[in-house]
Amino acid sequence: MKQVRFLLSALALVAASGATIDAHHSAVQYDFTKSAKITGVVVRFQAINPHMRLTLRVTDEKGTRDLELEGHSTNNMYRAGYRNGLVKAGDTITVDVAPLRDGREGGYMIAAVTASGTRFGVQSAADRARERERAEGK
Amino acid sequence: MFLPIPLAGQGGPHPDFTGVWTTYTEPGQARGGGAGRGGGPPLPFTEEGQKKVAAYRALIGDSGATPGGFCLGTGMPGSMLGSGGYPMEILQRPEQINITYEAHNEVRRVYLGDRIVPIADRIPGRNGHSSGHWEGDTLVVETTHLVEQVDQRWAHSDQARIVERYRLTTDTTGAKVLVAEMTLTDPVFYTRPVTETKKWAYVPNGHLLPYECAEEGWRIHLEQLEKQVKEPKR
Repeated sequence: MKQVRFLLSALALVAASGATIDAHHSAVQYDFTKSAKITGVVVRFQAINPHMRLTLRVTDEKGTRDLELEGHSTNNMYRAGYRNGLVKAGDTITVDVAPLRDGREGGYMIAAVTASGTRFGVQSAADRARERERAEGK
Repeated sequence: MFLPIPLAGQGGPHPDFTGVWTTYTEPGQARGGGAGRGGGPPLPFTEEGQKKVAAYRALIGDSGATPGGFCLGTGMPGSMLGSGGYPMEILQRPEQINITYEAHNEVRRVYLGDRIVPIADRIPGRNGHSSGHWEGDTLVVETTHLVEQVDQRWAHSDQARIVERYRLTTDTTGAKVLVAEMTLTDPVFYTRPVTETKKWAYVPNGHLLPYECAEEGWRIHLEQLEKQVKEPKR
């Protein structure tokens, strides 16, 4: 199975060298003016800071592969409806993501709808703009 | 109504700032994010301050790297001015006031009266050393012993001195609002004092969440160790 490891590609080298692991990154690689929905099966979910981490198994016409996603901090997601146990391995969930600017698969998780239908997260800038246009009759 | 707490040797009862505070939004306005870590109007940098900030920004380039991205707290005055979206908690005693900013668990301890640490015993840091006193209902906090910081909006040298004046008020709806007027003085980095006003809204029965930022790095380290065990080097 193809592993899409787009966020942490340099980490193996760092770990092999025995140097301090640098887990962090900025969000400039994501395009927050756009949003996309991705549905898949949760392989792994980590409610941590500074970014939630989600491995989502996606199957479509391109085949089946694991996407590595990151998202808002657990603290911000908590205030946007997330609670412990809402996302578990094996669940089928749909996530709203800001896509990567360079066109690779994956993205930054803005919100999610869980297996039980519970939504947590915030509205993306793109969705807010679409809603505004609808309200204005465009 | 604010409950006064008696402060021996501090001139009588003073307002109690104890509680959790979030970003204040003026009545009728859309809720915004916590100001403070982002952009804003140009600051009156000296040539030296400008040079150091420019060198830092050139180093960072378009990477978007920030101290927070590396689990490092913002430091004063950004930690205070940027708080709100990630709330702030104040626990107040007569001789010490602890201020915790949820993001990165930044903690400031404001010492009053006999608790104030002698100058020679203070250790410099990103949030400096804070001592306070009361002027009527206003808490005046002086922060010194800061380290040079070019990695926040209010860049400053280690000569910076920050004075915050905290007071409680209510807005037109009767909601409890905490106001801080901040003055940053730093002759090395600024041609004149920099002032800002920050407001927070009270969160009834509010709680701060834990913010264990370094966990991600640790987990990634363990994952890499597991990988090395499964795929040993030849």
